[in-house]
Amino acid sequence: MNVTQSLRMAIKSILSNKIRSVLTMLGIIIGVAAVIVIVGLGNGMQVYMRETFDSMGVNLIGVQTWSPGDTRTVSEEDMYQLAEEHPDLLSMVSPMVSLGGAKVGNEFLSSAQVTGVSEDYAKINRDEVEQGRYLQYVDILRRSNVCVVGSYINDTYFAGDGLGKTVKVMGAPFSIVGVMKQKGDGTEHSPDNSIFMPYTVAGKLAGQGNFGMYYFSAASEDAAIPATNVIRAKLLEIYGDESYFYVQSATEMMDQLNAMMNVTVAILTAIAAISLVVGGIGIMNIMLVSVTERTREIGIRKALGAKRRHIMMQFIIEAGATSAIGGLLGIAMGYGLSAVASAMIAAGLQQEMSVVPTMNSVLTAFGISAGIGIFFGYLPARKAARLNPIDALRYD
Amino acid sequence: MAPLIEFRNVYKIYQMGDTQVRAADGISMKIDQGEFVAIVGQSGSGKSTCMNIIGCLDVPTHGQYLLKGQDVGQMKDDQLADIRNKTLGFIFQQYNLLPKLNLLENVEVSLMYAGAPKRQRAARARQVLERVGLGDKLKHKPSQLSGGQQQRVSIARALAGAPSVILADEPTGALDSRTGRDVLGLLQELHNEGNTIVLITHDNSIARQAQRIIRLEDGKVVYDGPADGNQAVVNPEEAAL
Repeated sequence: MNVTQSLRMAIKSILSNKIRSVLTMLGIIIGVAAVIVIVGLGNGMQVYMRETFDSMGVNLIGVQTWSPGDTRTVSEEDMYQLAEEHPDLLSMVSPMVSLGGAKVGNEFLSSAQVTGVSEDYAKINRDEVEQGRYLQYVDILRRSNVCVVGSYINDTYFAGDGLGKTVKVMGAPFSIVGVMKQKGDGTEHSPDNSIFMPYTVAGKLAGQGNFGMYYFSAASEDAAIPATNVIRAKLLEIYGDESYFYVQSATEMMDQLNAMMNVTVAILTAIAAISLVVGGIGIMNIMLVSVTERTREIGIRKALGAKRRHIMMQFIIEAGATSAIGGLLGIAMGYGLSAVASAMIAAGLQQEMSVVPTMNSVLTAFGISAGIGIFFGYLPARKAARLNPIDALRYD
Repeated sequence: MAPLIEFRNVYKIYQMGDTQVRAADGISMKIDQGEFVAIVGQSGSGKSTCMNIIGCLDVPTHGQYLLKGQDVGQMKDDQLADIRNKTLGFIFQQYNLLPKLNLLENVEVSLMYAGAPKRQRAARARQVLERVGLGDKLKHKPSQLSGGQQQRVSIARALAGAPSVILADEPTGALDSRTGRDVLGLLQELHNEGNTIVLITHDNSIARQAQRIIRLEDGKVVYDGPADGNQAVVNPEEAAL
């Protein structure tokens, strides 16, 4: 009499009462499926977020400053110097100057984003050039009237042949030296509707000597947080007050979002897990009925020499097997629902986010469901094991 | 040599509300290896109590029950289970086969609890089923058999563990008289092969098939002697007439 035999006996017993067994398992099936889908959803969201951040650069650090209205100010030299002092933390810098009023011929490009940047901005923001070239250091230095445009502008206003043509910004003509590779969905309200020019030129046009906004690239993902701290320390030194600047790193933001999402997923999982407990109670209930129904069988087995532990094992393994099979069905259902959810998200939200069940959640769900069966099977099994053989034999 | 079964002044007293019921009221007896004994009595005579005690399903309130010289009264549940498994073979009135198992599996149950390996169990179960003439129905379910055949399965099951005592509780009670005679014949054969058989019955004619009769009334032994003895089947009510 070993576990294998008990398991065979249990499977036989479960199969001999299919409808009841499935109904008994239902709580476990639903609970496990729910846990898997929810954890998969959380996981999918994390993957999606990660991809989004990756496309804009996880190393990205944005700095915004405001002038307190006195001599305290940050210059581009300060920022470049900071990067030079911490080459292990900061690899690239770009001042940012936003302008408006771009025109092609007489057509006003009202929604185009016009930005003055450094030659490193493409790398910081992970933009790629498709035609021509990007801004170069010499353009910055010489304040050349050149620009790089996004694919939307190239396609819409120049029929894909904008290289060498002219865009006017605030009255000044800019020669297009490069076209960027499509980054967003190529529509008007995407990063593809933008124009980049040397920040030195943009600064002059805007009448700004100093720049309020900077983009940095951390040397590595791990360096993002210390780099952020270094920048904050420098700005605090200059302004002496935290209210005049704001530093935000993509990594920090992602960590915060992740933490928030983990909490949400944990709460949802806990709610789904309640169904597992309810399912366990269902199993206990049916096992108690089963013990009563099989009182005579228990009596016979005891008369034939079954010890308490034999009877105990028989019922516990039966309960465990019931919920483990429920767990397996729940896992299958969880995978099915995950696929459905992925399809629905793709169709309904136009987002490439897939619900990905994690191996961990699957194994945990299976282990917990089998454990629940054993836990809730204990009481009925003990009741069975303690039956008096004489009474059990006489039971009708 | 010590007797196989020995009752030393065995009492079994149940408390039913305010009254005490003495189901066994000081029974003493001995049964030796190889005997075929019928314990006979009316309902309420204490024969079922006697059978439960011999079968280690119950323990005496007072007195001693020695099985192969061991005092069973002092034993724990699991020790009793072990004795039932290895020393006793039960044949019940209602056969008590497990309906979902086939004949082979039914006979294997006690061997399984004894911890015998699968191959050995199957071989032994097949052997005893062949012995009772059911070698061609190994994979049948009990419900596919007649009552007499089911009782044969139950006899095979009792034999499987090669027990010291076969305990038959009204083995013909649910059978018609012809099938009943067959079953009794089988028990006779088993006795002739050297098995010790204790038969519990209320039926005098069946008790006559044994070598020896122990007659119980109101929890007391009123006759203990050869089955063909004068007093063996005398019913006090019949005698009074």
